[in-house]
Amino acid sequence: MSRFERKILFAIGLSVFLALGGSIFLAQGALRDVYAVGVNERFGAELVHGVEARRGQLMALRAGSDQVADAVLWAVEAELARSRSVSRLEGLLGELLGRYEVVQSIRLIDDADQILARAARPPDPVGDALRSTIRERETGTGARKLRIAVEVSVPERYFERLQEAGEVADAYSRLQRQGASVSDVYAWVFGVLAFLVILVAFLIGAIVSRRVTRRVTDLAEASRKVGAGDLTVALPTGARDEVAELTMAFNEMVRDLRDSRTRIEYLQRIGAWQDFARRLAHEIKNPLTPIQLAAQEMAETYTGEDEVFQKKLFQARAIIEEEVATLRRLVGEFSAFAKLPRADLTPFDLCELIESIRISIPAVLEDVGHGTAAPVEVGLSCATAPIRVRMDPMMLKRGVDNILRNAIQAVYQDHPTGGGRVLVHAYQREGSGFIEIRDNGPGIDEENWDRVFDPYYTTKAEGTGLGLAIVKKVVLEHGGEVRLDRAPEGGARFRIELPLMESR
Amino acid sequence: MRFRLAALALLIATVAYGQSQRPERALGVTWSRGTARVSFSAKDLADERVRRELSSGLRKRMEVTVSAHLSGSNWRMGVRRFGCDVTRDLWEDGYLVRIGDQSERLKTLEQVLDRCLVVQGLFVGEPKTYEPQKGRDIYFAVTAEFNPISKKQCTELIRPASGGDPVGPISVNIVRRRICKAERSIVFRGALLKVPE
Repeated sequence: MSRFERKILFAIGLSVFLALGGSIFLAQGALRDVYAVGVNERFGAELVHGVEARRGQLMALRAGSDQVADAVLWAVEAELARSRSVSRLEGLLGELLGRYEVVQSIRLIDDADQILARAARPPDPVGDALRSTIRERETGTGARKLRIAVEVSVPERYFERLQEAGEVADAYSRLQRQGASVSDVYAWVFGVLAFLVILVAFLIGAIVSRRVTRRVTDLAEASRKVGAGDLTVALPTGARDEVAELTMAFNEMVRDLRDSRTRIEYLQRIGAWQDFARRLAHEIKNPLTPIQLAAQEMAETYTGEDEVFQKKLFQARAIIEEEVATLRRLVGEFSAFAKLPRADLTPFDLCELIESIRISIPAVLEDVGHGTAAPVEVGLSCATAPIRVRMDPMMLKRGVDNILRNAIQAVYQDHPTGGGRVLVHAYQREGSGFIEIRDNGPGIDEENWDRVFDPYYTTKAEGTGLGLAIVKKVVLEHGGEVRLDRAPEGGARFRIELPLMESR
Repeated sequence: MRFRLAALALLIATVAYGQSQRPERALGVTWSRGTARVSFSAKDLADERVRRELSSGLRKRMEVTVSAHLSGSNWRMGVRRFGCDVTRDLWEDGYLVRIGDQSERLKTLEQVLDRCLVVQGLFVGEPKTYEPQKGRDIYFAVTAEFNPISKKQCTELIRPASGGDPVGPISVNIVRRRICKAERSIVFRGALLKVPE
């Protein structure tokens, strides 16, 4: 992982975890406040009071039922004391039963557990469930000992309500006691879930950011390579974003650098060859005249009688004169190559240049045909006029003439009786002006496409190998490029590309 | 491998620490028909507050859990649990104690505590529990709790708010554990003893 990636991930992590910590802190405070509103001492105290009230109600009911039981007992005791007979109690017991609702039954029992008198409320199958208890008191009529048992009751629901109230108060009391920890639990559960969500978001963010940072680190690595001199670097552009634009700009910059370096290297090489040609021309040119003069003198001053020798002497003079003439032509071409001036660029129309070439075609055809016009069809055309570029018309015309002459020669050799065609076409596309020269000749093998522009490389018997080198030098000095490939017609296709004036 | 060994050592240390944290107390253990019968008193569960609560007239619960463990282990070989529901009768003096399906009426709180927290000869486990452990060291652990809220009642009392938020149900479960745990509990263990051959 690069430092840049680490920094990006650190920034993402820092921001998300600061957000997480802050949200937990705030959530904890908010939850405590909210919890304190819902679960507070006042409500708890009121619930406890409610329980106490229900308990008090029960105790009051009990006290009331005790008093009722006592009243019943006293009434029965008083009746026994008054009448001294239990047989007349039934009416009183029924009356007491009707008077006190809490009394369920009244029994008068002797010491042998015999029920002497009894009154009981009939069971109510649809009424409330009751909880009963029996209050007893001993009494006596004469020598007999009697017991009066009064069953008093209270509805069961009072106990159930007390229990329910107690449980609610109990639970509330627990919630109250656990108040801080409950809100903490909520905060921490929220925190853990938020952490998991953030962790997933962080991982996704890391993966997504890694795609961006990887491209940036690739750019950095490619820049280091370019800095070290490797201009073959090219990066994939991928998505449409600022990094892709940066990558495209980088690729374009590297391509420009590579082209510039190639151009500079080529021009340096051409410069060296020009220097070599100059010295070679100088060294060869000087002895040619003395050699030719010496040969002529030897042939002309021979006064001997030997006719065979004289004949050989004249033959030798002819050979020497012919070779000297060839050497003079070579020296002339070397000298011309060595003295090739730098291009002087001015605005000019490519179509106009094409027209100027048209004038010289008949002479070229005649020269190639050795006196008679070679049967080669030459077409010149211009797609849209004008195609304005900055150029040195004389030098560029010379370059195009060189290629055209080579094309006519090649086509003529391949089709000596006619049928050969050469097309010169000018057009513009994507900020560049083009001159395309193509033919239906034998073409050039692909492995030689790069070498043909090297000085002194030639496949012709009488060639010097300087023509295409001059073309390339001229085109490079125009800030352009010349390329060779195969023409649709099967022959060679040269394309000279020059920057349009508008694109500068 | 090293990680596993370290994890095992940590686990053993944790178990040992957990066992050492339980105070030791004398437990009576007898063996009958291959099963242990345990006797002890957990009356100290009933402190001042517990006694007050038991006399409130509200139904309260006391639960006693006895478990058998191998020495050095927290795994329960056998367990026995029983609970008392105690209600002081406000209508008539006395206490109503319900153990399982049986109800009985006791006059005093001391009688209630003796009935619920003093255990005599309680069977813990079955013969097959101890059969494989003959000759090995075991111990019994006791947990006595006052008024734990049952899971069912707790679920009824504390419910998550309606809605689809993911935090609610998880938080409510944790809160339930805290809120519904016993109001007071005591934990102790007996000394190590050997399972008879």
